[in-house]
Amino acid sequence: MSASGEISLTTQPEWEGALERLLSRGGDAYLELSDVTFVDVAGTSALALAAQRLGRAGRRIVVHEPPPSLRRALEMFWSDLTVIEVTG
Amino acid sequence: MTGVTVSGEAFVHPALFYRGDTAYLAATVPFIRDGLAAGEPVAVAVPERNLALLREALGGQADAVRFIDMQQAGRNPGRIIPRVLRAFADAHQGRRVRIIGEPIWAGRTAQEYPACVQHEALINYAFTGRDVTIVCPYDTGRLSAAVLADAEATHPVVRDGGLERPSGAYAPDRVIARYNEPLPLPPGVSTFTFDAKSLPEARHFAAGLAAGFGLPDGRHSDLELSVAELTTNSVVHGGGAGTLRVWAEGDHLVCEVEDRGHISAPLAGRCPPPPTQPGGRGLLMVHYVTDLVRTHTRPQGTTTRFYLRR
Repeated sequence: MSASGEISLTTQPEWEGALERLLSRGGDAYLELSDVTFVDVAGTSALALAAQRLGRAGRRIVVHEPPPSLRRALEMFWSDLTVIEVTG
Repeated sequence: MTGVTVSGEAFVHPALFYRGDTAYLAATVPFIRDGLAAGEPVAVAVPERNLALLREALGGQADAVRFIDMQQAGRNPGRIIPRVLRAFADAHQGRRVRIIGEPIWAGRTAQEYPACVQHEALINYAFTGRDVTIVCPYDTGRLSAAVLADAEATHPVVRDGGLERPSGAYAPDRVIARYNEPLPLPPGVSTFTFDAKSLPEARHFAAGLAAGFGLPDGRHSDLELSVAELTTNSVVHGGGAGTLRVWAEGDHLVCEVEDRGHISAPLAGRCPPPPTQPGGRGLLMVHYVTDLVRTHTRPQGTTTRFYLRR
């Protein structure tokens, strides 16, 4: 799955819906975020919560080229959440 | 804030008045050693110079102590409770922990000081009922009489010259209110009014000014995140709209967001939520990534101002 633009208050419902669809598929998840310019803390929280659910199911999530804002929020609140692999 | 009992509390929060290195070590080293002997986790979060003193005095026992440079970890006093004190206490749930926390030193600026005192007052509420001792050293040789008077108001007990006495001036609510001061604006401020539809533009407005004010590249995401969280809070909790202001002041880029909301929970932005909770991290994020946060809140509205070193 890939996303583009900004993930913030007005796009949060769409983002959460996309994460739900990603979870409903089997296997490991892949998120292409190289065209996403900004993710607020609620957006990263939604990703981290989705990742925790994947982790409980023994699955992983790869996040490719997220913007610095997402990396920073992961570092601050979920530095031990190994189920998310950030690449690129 | 009512209904908080201090007597008979599991939580112990004395101010420690000291003058000179010898007195500092005489009061802190036995506290650390007693903790280690009792099998209690011990953390020392103090300015760099005192860290070095304690490390040397503890010798081989230093390895068993968690040392934290308070001038870095606690540069913004608003993050000391969640990121330093709670982080250490929560990592040792179910055990009594000891912490030496020295958030106020002689180099604290006039802008930082009110936030430091509010932090000290809020510790009393953040740890109510927890099996935690936090001893806060105050250098009486270098801090003013007014600072020491505030320390008496923010700590239920004071240790001074080897003796412990209850603080008759203990009144954390009053201190939180007194330092909830209006934040005057300097000349030369750039202003942007926003609502739900213009949240991204508000962020771009601040980011566009930042480069001209010399904010290092590595801190642009800290600025954008902080602006995004505060403006989003205004839209969701603060009346749906607000005003963003940006300027440079000395070594700092300064931003503030004013809205019609009122922060009635004094611990807002200082309590780390459990990892499975979806929300409640916006204001925490601002505290984590900025160098200082000042707040003026009243029923008519709230101004939250943050500083980033440029």
